[in-house]
Amino acid sequence: MRISHRPVALVFAAVLGAACRPSEKVVKIAVAVPLTGDMGTEGQGLRRGVTMALEEINASHRYPFRLEAAPFDDRADPKEAVNVANLIVSDPEILAVVGPYNSGCGIPAAKVYARSSVAMVSPAATNPEVTAQQLSPEWTGPKNVFRVVPTDDVQGEAAARFAYRRLGKRRMALVHDKTPYGQGIAEQFQKTFTALGGRVVTVDGISVGDKDFKALLTKIKSDAASAEGVYFGGLYTEAGLILKQMKELAMTPRLIFISGDGSKTPGIFDVAGDAADGAYLSIVGIPVEDLPSAREFIVRYKKRWTAAGEELRPFDHFGYEATMIVSEALARMAPTPAQLPLDRAAMIAQLRKTDYMGMLGRTTFDAKGDTGNKIVTMTVAHSRDRSFESIR
Amino acid sequence: MSLVRKLPWMPVLALAAVCLLPFIAHIAHFPYLVRVGGVVGLFMLLGVGLNFTLGYVGLFDLGYIAFYAIGAYTTAIAMRAHCSAPTSIALAVLVATAMRAFVGVSILRLRGDYLAVVTMGFAEMTRLTINNLDGLTNGPKGLQVSPWRPLGFLSSDPNVQFYLLIMGAVALSVVSARRLEHSRVGRAWVAIREDELAARLSGIPVNRFKLLAFTLSGVFAGLGGALFALWEQFVTPESFVFWESILIVSIVVLGGLGSVLGALLAAAVLAGLPLLLQAKLSAQWIDYRYLFFGLTLVLVTLFRPQGLIPASRRKTRLGP
Amino acid sequence: MLAQQIVNALTLGAIYALIALGYTMVYGILELINFAHSEVLMLGAFVALGLFRFFPGAFGAGLWGFALIFAASMFLAGLVNVAIERFAYRPLRGASRLAPLISAIGVSIVLQNGVFLGVNTQSLPFPQPSGIRSFLLPGGAAVSSLQILILTAALALMGLLHYIIQYTKVGKAMRACADDVATAGLMGINSNSVIALTFFIGGALGGAAGVLYGANYGSIKYNMGFLPGMKAFTAAVLGGIGNTRGALLGGFLLGLLEVFSAGYIPTGAQWRDVVSFGVLIAVLLIRPAGLLGASTGEKV
Repeated sequence: MRISHRPVALVFAAVLGAACRPSEKVVKIAVAVPLTGDMGTEGQGLRRGVTMALEEINASHRYPFRLEAAPFDDRADPKEAVNVANLIVSDPEILAVVGPYNSGCGIPAAKVYARSSVAMVSPAATNPEVTAQQLSPEWTGPKNVFRVVPTDDVQGEAAARFAYRRLGKRRMALVHDKTPYGQGIAEQFQKTFTALGGRVVTVDGISVGDKDFKALLTKIKSDAASAEGVYFGGLYTEAGLILKQMKELAMTPRLIFISGDGSKTPGIFDVAGDAADGAYLSIVGIPVEDLPSAREFIVRYKKRWTAAGEELRPFDHFGYEATMIVSEALARMAPTPAQLPLDRAAMIAQLRKTDYMGMLGRTTFDAKGDTGNKIVTMTVAHSRDRSFESIR
Repeated sequence: MSLVRKLPWMPVLALAAVCLLPFIAHIAHFPYLVRVGGVVGLFMLLGVGLNFTLGYVGLFDLGYIAFYAIGAYTTAIAMRAHCSAPTSIALAVLVATAMRAFVGVSILRLRGDYLAVVTMGFAEMTRLTINNLDGLTNGPKGLQVSPWRPLGFLSSDPNVQFYLLIMGAVALSVVSARRLEHSRVGRAWVAIREDELAARLSGIPVNRFKLLAFTLSGVFAGLGGALFALWEQFVTPESFVFWESILIVSIVVLGGLGSVLGALLAAAVLAGLPLLLQAKLSAQWIDYRYLFFGLTLVLVTLFRPQGLIPASRRKTRLGP
Repeated sequence: MLAQQIVNALTLGAIYALIALGYTMVYGILELINFAHSEVLMLGAFVALGLFRFFPGAFGAGLWGFALIFAASMFLAGLVNVAIERFAYRPLRGASRLAPLISAIGVSIVLQNGVFLGVNTQSLPFPQPSGIRSFLLPGGAAVSSLQILILTAALALMGLLHYIIQYTKVGKAMRACADDVATAGLMGINSNSVIALTFFIGGALGGAAGVLYGANYGSIKYNMGFLPGMKAFTAAVLGGIGNTRGALLGGFLLGLLEVFSAGYIPTGAQWRDVVSFGVLIAVLLIRPAGLLGASTGEKV
């Protein structure tokens, strides 16, 4: 049998051509968050924030190349986060990482990024150790870890002052979800509240994914110490259920409810309905709704994503802000297409010089890489129009 | 006749392939492969380890991850108490094995799925206890582990170092599994799996052999946990959820109960597939990663219900 | 406080018992842990939500509308379970006992990710029948009419199930298959359809539990099934798996255990599951086949 050589040669040429075609110049920003699994909801939100930021940057033709989001799924599993980190550092086109979502993922992954001098800007991991570990003598590599979200201690402290001074509460019950975030802010609340002279009457941990907290709430309700309110460290699903069940047990409005930014999302109204009314929720920075730039962000976000049935999640705007900060640093590098792939170490150096005015307010990074933006605002939830009114 | 007997050069070939991987990854400018190899190696170790319990003796253990967690946390705590890394590994193996023996003594008289539920319960209790004992384990915030750089003379890349170390442990586990499989002990185990009553009537001390298999599994869980903790330099309760136990059981069953080679292959497929999909799926398909994984699980089971490489001994079995 | 905690425990226990029944029915007949049952529960809740969203007028918001949706969701969840059996378990019936377990795990992953990707990634509000009122019982316990509804629905379904299994011809066939599928086949029972029916009833109970679960807690999510599924399975084993009365007892017992360890032990909420599993292990060590499980000895 005679085989014609021509088709073979053609295919070969086509393959070669595809390989050698001058591809579009691209710089990738990795988004390493849980895209599936139990935390998939939050991770998908972060990814939307990052994608939207990059779309806006590309639309403004700010750089002589395109910025592209490279999503990676760590399933909120620390082992997967390290896998993802190893994959990310293997791709020279990736300049920086926005992520991870969990502190448990952030701590081990940061070490991998450091060994390859890749900057990591976390939009959600709040455990102090994520950045503090860089100061350890055992740290190898540059100090590459930054975060745009303040650590646990900031919000817990502000909420404790608010409860003690503003609301005049003296006895609070503490509930947290046994995660680094929830337990972290709850512990800080306890520290400040007791230092002020208040009394934390009970401390209880629940598990994420649980739905029934009535046993615990009944205990708090009938406790002899008669708490005047509940401080909850955790996310909106559990917060919403607690609010709903507090109402069913006729605890609210006699008992107040305070929680952190993990609960301040319209999602809480889906879970709690009108039981969310009157809940006090702290947020970081000036409230998004009060900043003109942020108001525009919300409008754009709704325009871009609400058609897809998606609503703003608690950390989405941190993902957006983190991406914008990376872009600012990139602008200071004054990159040209000839320099691709860009120098990752230079990115870290530029991020360190960050002084960015965005929708969270002014962001600068201290020696550890933590944000200097430590303003906390308390808001109160209104289910009628699914809004959060800030308290001045 | 086992596959290894038919192909006597296979272990050598496998060893060569294993050692070549870091070079290939280096040449291909894709160091990620070494990480994948190491993670797959950890699951191979766990698969071969659980194969003693589930594969050889047929004890349905749904809580194997607990002993991996115990190994990892023992290492982390020992390292923080300034033990050397090898001492910490030894301690981890010791503690995990001892715990396994202790648990085994109390629960092994349970049968079938009751054993599965009790082991699952034990694993959840272990994870929750680790999460709640903040004083010892730092609770949900996890424990940092000081870096340890073994085999520094071979490579300066910690991933390569741990990859080789883990593969060494896998080789150790495979050799011990195969030696035991063809010994009096191994035959007794299979006899118990196939018909416990007949085995007992044939004079096999069933309880003692069950306990031996159950305890031996603990050695590899402890070793795996120790290597995991030292490699990641961080342990947190989030790493030891129920899902991981399910994954290891799937590896043993999908490999073929009692088949060491099958467990190795299934570990490569089940632990490696999501990692390779992560690297190869484009942005819009990345969310479908675990959907593909679930489909693979169903399809492989439907097409190879006896496992990828059924153990040679099962073929001689009569009846259903 | 005690009265309130008992009310809490009964509501929680009724839901666990309903889910546990689904596990126990399938287990009783095939000795298979139907890992996908938790996803059937989740699908039941999503079907109900879908019906509410797309046919808001057809059902109305009142009690009857709710009952209709409840029945429709049960039916569809039952069909889903039958489909799972047909495609993922039946081909494996001759294989080892663990093979269907693995395909069950695979199905569970596929269904959960399917809903995550195809429906919604977020918590969705679940409609509640209008006209829910709260009563104050003597002893100061607050009970809502929804809780009473849940308890009633759960007990009614359990009663119905008991009737079907014990007093109908189909039930007799099911019991025969549970004893020995092969022999039942020789006696002229079409074991395939009996097994399919068992899956249908089990799935319907799972769907019912899903709707009640959604209504009670007010929101549903793609991963809502896993935790109650795991716990209900524990409850089924605690009572003696394969035994419907055992599932009932185990469900209520687990509800009581959880509520009382969270309510009365200091910092008990975080140790609650440790206590439940501890009790489970202790019970099984004393009674290796669960509380009501008959120790069948060994089939030779």
